[in-house]
Amino acid sequence: MLESLMAVVKPEMKSYVWLQTVDGSIQQVEEEVAMFCPIICQDILHKGMGSSKNNAIVLPERVNPANLGLVLDYCRFHQVSGHSNKERKAFDEKFIRLDTKKLCDLTSAADSLQLKPLVDLTSRTLARVIEGKTPEEIREIFNLPDDLTEEEKLEPLKNVTDDPRIRLLNRLYARKRKELRERGKMKNAEVEEERVDERSVDDLLLFINGGKKEIKVTKSGKGKKKNRRRKDHTKGSSSDNVNENHEKGSNGIPLSCPDGTDDDELDPAMKEQLDREVEDFARRLNSDWPKRMQEILSLGPGRSPPAISIGGNGSAA
Amino acid sequence: MNKVVSPKSTAKSIVMRNTFPEEVLEHVLSFIDSHSDRNSVSLVCKAWHETDRWCRRRLFIGNCYSVSPAIVIRRFRDIRSLAIKGKPHFADYNWVPEGWGAHAYPWIAALAEAYPALEELRLKRMVVSDEALELIGKKFQNFRVLVLCCCEGFSTDGLAYIAANCRNLRVLDLFECEVDDMGGNWIGHFPDSYTSLESLNVSCINSELRFSALERLLCRCPNMKALRVNCTVPLDKLAILLEKAPRLMDLGTGLFMTELRPEVYKRLAVAFSRCKEIRSLSGLWDVAPSYLPVVYPICPMLTSLNLSYATIRCPDLIKLLTHCQNLQRLWVLDFIEDRGLEVLAASCKDLQELRVFPSEPYNQEPNISLTEQGLVSVAVGCPKLQSVLYFCRQMTNAALFTIARNRPNLTRFRLCLIEPRSADWQTHGPLDDGFGAIVEHCKDLKRLSLSGLISDTVFEYIGTHAKKLEMLSLAFSGGSDLGLHYVLSGCESLRKLEIRDCPFGDRALVLNAAKLETMRSLWMSSCRVSYRACKLLGQKMPRLNVEVIDERGPPESRSDECPVENLYIYRTVAGPRLDSPGFVWTVNENWAMRSPSL
Repeated sequence: MLESLMAVVKPEMKSYVWLQTVDGSIQQVEEEVAMFCPIICQDILHKGMGSSKNNAIVLPERVNPANLGLVLDYCRFHQVSGHSNKERKAFDEKFIRLDTKKLCDLTSAADSLQLKPLVDLTSRTLARVIEGKTPEEIREIFNLPDDLTEEEKLEPLKNVTDDPRIRLLNRLYARKRKELRERGKMKNAEVEEERVDERSVDDLLLFINGGKKEIKVTKSGKGKKKNRRRKDHTKGSSSDNVNENHEKGSNGIPLSCPDGTDDDELDPAMKEQLDREVEDFARRLNSDWPKRMQEILSLGPGRSPPAISIGGNGSAA
Repeated sequence: MNKVVSPKSTAKSIVMRNTFPEEVLEHVLSFIDSHSDRNSVSLVCKAWHETDRWCRRRLFIGNCYSVSPAIVIRRFRDIRSLAIKGKPHFADYNWVPEGWGAHAYPWIAALAEAYPALEELRLKRMVVSDEALELIGKKFQNFRVLVLCCCEGFSTDGLAYIAANCRNLRVLDLFECEVDDMGGNWIGHFPDSYTSLESLNVSCINSELRFSALERLLCRCPNMKALRVNCTVPLDKLAILLEKAPRLMDLGTGLFMTELRPEVYKRLAVAFSRCKEIRSLSGLWDVAPSYLPVVYPICPMLTSLNLSYATIRCPDLIKLLTHCQNLQRLWVLDFIEDRGLEVLAASCKDLQELRVFPSEPYNQEPNISLTEQGLVSVAVGCPKLQSVLYFCRQMTNAALFTIARNRPNLTRFRLCLIEPRSADWQTHGPLDDGFGAIVEHCKDLKRLSLSGLISDTVFEYIGTHAKKLEMLSLAFSGGSDLGLHYVLSGCESLRKLEIRDCPFGDRALVLNAAKLETMRSLWMSSCRVSYRACKLLGQKMPRLNVEVIDERGPPESRSDECPVENLYIYRTVAGPRLDSPGFVWTVNENWAMRSPSL
């Protein structure tokens, strides 16, 4: 094939060079295109190689026929001086539309041929592939082993909103809130001066729905720090007792459940299951904690332990 | 990846290794800049981890106590640019007691030994002593960039040392630092042979700058791009500086007031009109309105304008703003009023960031007409608005809805109603729904500050919708632990949470203890967290430092149920810190551990 090519001699007397890739195969390539690669250029000019099949330039081992083809396509376009910058950019953008494996391979080949513009182009493209991805995703794309030890990773823990206990609690709160809503809505607030932290979950939820409220008007600036010259931040506090009518939802934002479940469909068996799970969870949690903490979590005096037992509050079950 | 050694898999692994050899990886990594991407790269596999060890040049440490200098040095071999943050954000409002920590010296001393080629150091909210500055001058031969933001502990003597010794210094930027005045003429310490300065920001220094030395410095530094002088540089001298550095891109003037003299005015006007490259203007202390027009020639090119010290009233502000059609960032005092903001909305369609500061935060009834309407006009009129910091005295849910619906591209929204617990003045109710609308519509919201009357409901909205939220600031908000629980359990991207005077207690914290390890830090002051809960957390979570910061004396001297004054929890791989002052107790399995010194 190549001999017959030789027979077709263009008027411009285009000359060709012979390149040998790692698999042993030899190709004939237009000299001006091949010269775009510094390594090949050197071999031709300084070592006089490549002029025939027997004298083929042996390319670095990372160059195989597939990626050589791509490299030469690149060279063939860019070695032509007539192209505008815009045209070159357009060519490059089309050229790098390869899968990541080919890109890696091509980067490697271009690097061994010292073809810096192509190395930069493919490296930048690979960098964009990597940007914004998690380590797992990167491993997946490039087929890399997950061989770092825990110590080496010191990775922050994954986000724990998937913790089933948290989800359970949220579901619980949502259910309880619904029940309370059904029982009756706004209550005009009676203001409390003090709030003790030993409230039951019931009280907590009542509060959200327009129950008791504490209003204290204290003067305290959160001014921009540039006003540091006036360092004083707290003035005398005056408490105003104000009646608040908490109109929730009057401006119409639909409130979705924190984890998106609708407890309407829970059948009694499920509800019981839920209650049991929560009790269990509370017990496990409590067993680690000092006694006082248990008391804090419990429903207050007169309610049966363990803590957070919704089932015992007269909910329909 | 399988470890079975078969001829086929060996061949495959050879091929794999060859397709991504070291040099190629290094090259690819050189195009990966962002800290989070480099951190991901570092965790991919052993080979990449190792490559990153040698190739990483830039490092960002968000909390100086989360890691120790020794660990950093062990991990990375050749860091050239380092950024470290020290105290938590609430330190800006003086809520972190003096002497808490964040000392730069130990870091600099360690870096001096390990990274002699260090070129850049950026420190924020750290205590930087003169000795630390001297060490920089002495040890880093190729030191180029020093940026100190909200730092303290040094004096003009330290700066003199930097000036005298850092031959290759390009950037000396001091933002909002407290600098002790030791007299002398520190600017004069730059040697006559020194010519490489490109950026000098000394606007926060309160002491006199020797003008002649400054002028000479500008004369011999041809690459000056940014110059922000302090308020001691008078207006009639400003023209001289501009004439020496006409290619400035960032200018911070000094005092913008002097008696009206035609020749001064003319010289200034000409000087400004020659500065064709200025894109950022700041300073402008005590503006004399009659001089303001000298800056009109540069206004059309301005992208950033900082008027937060400028006592310009609304009419003059309006005139100024109508010239600034390309403005992207505006920091201004509330003198701008609603009508000024309307003009802003009409003139500056490229506006991305707006900050409105209170001129008199402690005055209950200032004579300034700045309401929620101003912010609404800007939100509606400026399609590129992303970042808002707004101090005002009234707000409505309706306004917040309008803002949310018009600007779903908001990424930072900090609303500071000056009076705590201010209700929606129309409905007299809480602002829950308004803020709820913000988090629901603005899906890329990264930073949020709440104020006004807020109940737990808003936290449910936040937990449900604010999935990209990274930083949340709360004061006088919420009704119970449930609020905190919603935030901690729902906000997946949360990194920093700072809270004061909210009724949040033990339960939410303890239940969400694991979440704290995924965040950079949590700050709570004047809340309801008991010492017992702190001990529990400290015991259970070895990778957290639980700091009780209490100026009333040892927490052991009070009942375990007693709420702590301030609580600062942050994740760390460096263990409890060894430099805590007397009023900080780090709680871990040894119960309250206080370092013996200080």
